[in-house]
Amino acid sequence: TVSMMSAQKDCEFLVKRARELVSEDPCAAKAWLITARTLYPSDFNIQYEMYIIERNAQRTASAGRLLYDMFINFPDQPVVWREISVITAALRSDSEDKHAQFLRGLFETLPGRVQCEMLLKATEQCFNTLEKAEMLLLLLKRFPESVVQHGVNLGETLLEAEATENMETPVNCFRKLFVCDVLPLVINNMDMRLPTSLMQKYMLKAAEFYIGYVTRGPSGDLQIQGPSDGGSLKSPSVPRVSQRYVIDGLSEKTSAVTEPWERLLDIISVVGARCEWQGDKAQRSYVDMLQRVKDLCRYLPGLEGDTRSRCCCQIVLCAALVLFRSAFLYVSAVQPALFQGVSAISSGPWILVEDLSSVYSDLELEKGTLKHAHKKRKLADGREKTMSSDDEESLGKGRGRHILVNKTEMPGWSETLESFNTARESWDLLHSHDALETEFKKICAAWKTDSWLWFRIFLTDMIIYQGQYRKALSSLMQMAAVMAPQPGQHSLSAQSSLEHNRALIQQASCYYALGEYKRACEKLLDVVSGLTPPNQEPAKSPEDQGIAKTKTRRGSDLRLLLCTNKAVLPFCLQLMLACFKLRALNDSRDDLSLGHVVVLLQHDWPHGEMLFLKAVDKICQQGSFQYENFFNYVTNIDMLEEFAYLRTPEGGRIQLELLPNQGMLIKNPSPALGVELNTLLLQGVQTMDRHHTVTRGITKGVKEDFRLAMERQVSRCGENLLSVLHRFCLNEKIIIIQSLP
Amino acid sequence: MGDIRQSLLPRDVLSAAKELLYHLDIYICNLLQSGRQPPQVDSKTLELVEEFIFHSPNDRNTPARRMSALQELQLLEIMCSCFQEQSRDTVRQLMFSALFNLQGNQADESRMSLLGKLVSMAVAVGRVPILECAATWLQRTHRVYCVRLAQVLVDDYCGMVPGSVSTLQNIHSASPRFCCQFITAVTMLYDLSSEDLTPPLELLQMIVSWIQDDPRLVLITFLNTPLSGSQPITSLDVTPLGGLVRWCIKAPLTYRRDKKPPLTNGSSDSVVEAGPLFSALHLSVLQVFMLLPTILNEKGLYGRLTLLQMESLAALTSDLSRLLDQADKHTHKSSADTHTSSQLALDRLAQALQVAMASGALLCSREDLRAICSRLPHNNLLQLVLSGPVMYYNNIHTPPLAFSPHAAHLPITTHPAHPTHPTHPTHSALPTHPAQTTITSHSSSHNQYPGAVSEKVQRSPRSESSIVAGTFWHST
Repeated sequence: TVSMMSAQKDCEFLVKRARELVSEDPCAAKAWLITARTLYPSDFNIQYEMYIIERNAQRTASAGRLLYDMFINFPDQPVVWREISVITAALRSDSEDKHAQFLRGLFETLPGRVQCEMLLKATEQCFNTLEKAEMLLLLLKRFPESVVQHGVNLGETLLEAEATENMETPVNCFRKLFVCDVLPLVINNMDMRLPTSLMQKYMLKAAEFYIGYVTRGPSGDLQIQGPSDGGSLKSPSVPRVSQRYVIDGLSEKTSAVTEPWERLLDIISVVGARCEWQGDKAQRSYVDMLQRVKDLCRYLPGLEGDTRSRCCCQIVLCAALVLFRSAFLYVSAVQPALFQGVSAISSGPWILVEDLSSVYSDLELEKGTLKHAHKKRKLADGREKTMSSDDEESLGKGRGRHILVNKTEMPGWSETLESFNTARESWDLLHSHDALETEFKKICAAWKTDSWLWFRIFLTDMIIYQGQYRKALSSLMQMAAVMAPQPGQHSLSAQSSLEHNRALIQQASCYYALGEYKRACEKLLDVVSGLTPPNQEPAKSPEDQGIAKTKTRRGSDLRLLLCTNKAVLPFCLQLMLACFKLRALNDSRDDLSLGHVVVLLQHDWPHGEMLFLKAVDKICQQGSFQYENFFNYVTNIDMLEEFAYLRTPEGGRIQLELLPNQGMLIKNPSPALGVELNTLLLQGVQTMDRHHTVTRGITKGVKEDFRLAMERQVSRCGENLLSVLHRFCLNEKIIIIQSLP
Repeated sequence: MGDIRQSLLPRDVLSAAKELLYHLDIYICNLLQSGRQPPQVDSKTLELVEEFIFHSPNDRNTPARRMSALQELQLLEIMCSCFQEQSRDTVRQLMFSALFNLQGNQADESRMSLLGKLVSMAVAVGRVPILECAATWLQRTHRVYCVRLAQVLVDDYCGMVPGSVSTLQNIHSASPRFCCQFITAVTMLYDLSSEDLTPPLELLQMIVSWIQDDPRLVLITFLNTPLSGSQPITSLDVTPLGGLVRWCIKAPLTYRRDKKPPLTNGSSDSVVEAGPLFSALHLSVLQVFMLLPTILNEKGLYGRLTLLQMESLAALTSDLSRLLDQADKHTHKSSADTHTSSQLALDRLAQALQVAMASGALLCSREDLRAICSRLPHNNLLQLVLSGPVMYYNNIHTPPLAFSPHAAHLPITTHPAHPTHPTHPTHSALPTHPAQTTITSHSSSHNQYPGAVSEKVQRSPRSESSIVAGTFWHST
């Protein structure tokens, strides 16, 4: 031990001298250390000092060489391990600072074998699963031959960690590393034999991750962004597109997943090739993929055993992925705010509703089809579940249904509709055989697709498209429950109220399609009560110019409606009109409905002129008409004229009870007044002073009221019609609803 | 042959020389064709060369002819292109030997003169084949002449025109072999025994940068020389290591801060200090030593060949102790400064000895070192090196692990008894000796080093094997 101590002293002396010299004459310091090393080759401190000099001078090559020596000669020194862990941390980090770059460069100078060993040992010493995995990944990426030994194990470790750490979402750090980093290495390594079942399992894990990643919400369940996040609420109509996205536990750089759908397609291609799927070529696109499995599906009934199950598997996997991708593309266009990173330029949200552009058109034509449809629908609803495809057919609303879109408002309309159709086709394919459906349901259960709001939105729209309105309604009801403002969250943005409206409008549309007008009106009046009327009437609606009208429509088309204040109110008015139209204009007398119709026909005037004339005809036939709200809500000069005219002898002396004190008007008809009023109305506002000359006679009390009301109305012509109609909806809500059975 | 002489005689000097070169070329080609081993240019031809190229007076009663300066320049140009155009190495080499190998006669002076001019020209215009031939010449010729050739280049390039050093700088890439030999010769030329014998700073700077850029440069000759050891004993060392070690150790005492740096030629960067340059050079030398175990092992020479000679080390230590004495005597005021310089010199000596020994460049025992260093003043590191590292194994009875197999072929250089610095070159053709570096037989080892047994106990038994492991890097 005496000699041991004196050796120790020698070494300390040598290192001390080197340290003294290093700043003023680094060469001399190194000369001392070289000498020292030859004297005491097994002394760690000497070599460490040499390393430190080179490292501090950031001389990559020589520092690397010395690190190598230390790694070989002093594998048990904690200091060496601290150094190695600093270096491996630099390898894993995104940091661009000079020191991190130097450390990475240092690592690069080491011979591959040593890098490999270093990473392996560093991995062994690491107790954090994530760090350990990242380290092992560095190894696998650098040394493909190590994939055979460690690849699958690493993958399984990550999947286990995901399970044991109870990750709430598939978009978590473990899955990310597994799917994006480990899996490509594993499946592309042809030296490995991978059982088909394992590859399918991995494939599903990958798909779940990528879908989850793409459809992640703008915030909330996943941890994201900086503290300024709350700012997005201030401008709710333009959902902020955050580029920064960090998966908990990973760095920003590692969190980034580029082109998720393409990556997923790559994986499918490789897995497909390895599982000997039908169709030898690599999958070029999702559309190709769907086409291929569609073809394959035709052979399915003839297949047996392994071939059949392999075939099933291929069809289900491919069709399901096409389904989810297309559904996502559709929903991201229709409801962009649901997703993070989806550009909100496309505006929206959009609502799939019954197309009402023919609401003003000829009644007779429609009557038949609607009634007919209604009956059949009732029939269909009775045996709903089992015969869903029959359902469609019986409704005559199968594949031929059109969805109208305003092309100028939705620039990507054709892709959006294409996605919707592709998604539906995939869905149909997946439900074309029991075997496929069973497999597909397994996937859905595993992924808990029930809880995917965006997917439910698609499904609902699909069901609506299929005409299964009852089903759609129950789905919408559930969604509305999910989306209703939570307690404590009630002050939430206009955005969420729009979302809420979206569900209500769709419900209204469904009720309407089912012929349940009362409920339809209930829903839409709920919506309207939450709206603020636009300040000015929209310029003559540009809707028609953009809408595809190429094919003859059969009155049961759908439309994508822009879910904004501006667009929703007109739609609600049209929908109400549609609800009352039949009832008001059919053979039985219902003045209240007829009155509502007249009020509603003011909107979009003169589109509804023909219907108005029909209404007038009916009033003429009845010989009288009672609608006490008339003067509250009718300000259309043409209509006022017409009604004024109706009271004239020429007009047929129709008894009009349009004022709240109705009885008087009925008991004291005064045909004379009509002329005067008529004159008055024809003269317009500028002749206001003439009212003195036209108001005389004792029995003219009632006439006077009517006349005054008419005059007042004429002066109201300039009022904002939408405000008037909005008020109508708000004030008469109860009457409106009550007037429907 | 007589016909040739007759045909040359009437010609003017230049065309005769030119004609002779042409003849020589044909003659050597035929010689090689004949397959005679070894191919040797006959004495008649050599005489013609002396007569018509070097114009040495002969006994034949003809008046000695001289060339004008212009003719000489033309001749040099002809020679340059002659070597440049000759594509066969052996022909070129034989021709160069026929022209410039020293014959120990009167013609040698003009031979040296023309050679100096030719090589200088080759450096200037980058004639690689000539530099390669000159490198071989530098290996075979007595060191005194080698030093003279180096002197010519230093005079031509490091003195006259400022900035001309950069031309010389290029020989590193043009002919590393020549460059290596040149360094060796320069370290002989300037032995730092006095201030006059210190290299010009720009030369020093150039050499340092060469070696820093490529440490293996100093080993080029060694790496390219076959083991047969046909080096004449009086030729230059096979590496400049000994000379460089001498420079670095003596430098602190020779270059004194209080004195003006020698020979700066007023060039602009005279600010450059010698101190850091020598420090860097010393480190490079140690690094080169560290390269050696691998190289020696590859050549199967580890422990069998000494690159540093004990004699020259002994001469160095005695020089050093003389310089230290002088320094003590001459300095009165700055004794602290002197002490620092002295200690630096001793530190470097200790480092060079230790690293050279550990790397197998120096084969000797610590006892040998103690002997040659006995007269030197105290220095901690030197003390440590001379006594060797302390062995710190708990079990003293465990036989050392790695030392014994090496001990089996431990050294042993029987050093030739020739004086290392002959004052005059011998005039006879130099004999080729079998290896100045002696390859020893195994049997003699233990007898010659009785101290080795005690060393075993004292030394860390792992030292040598660990060094090998430590430098394993270089082979990866």
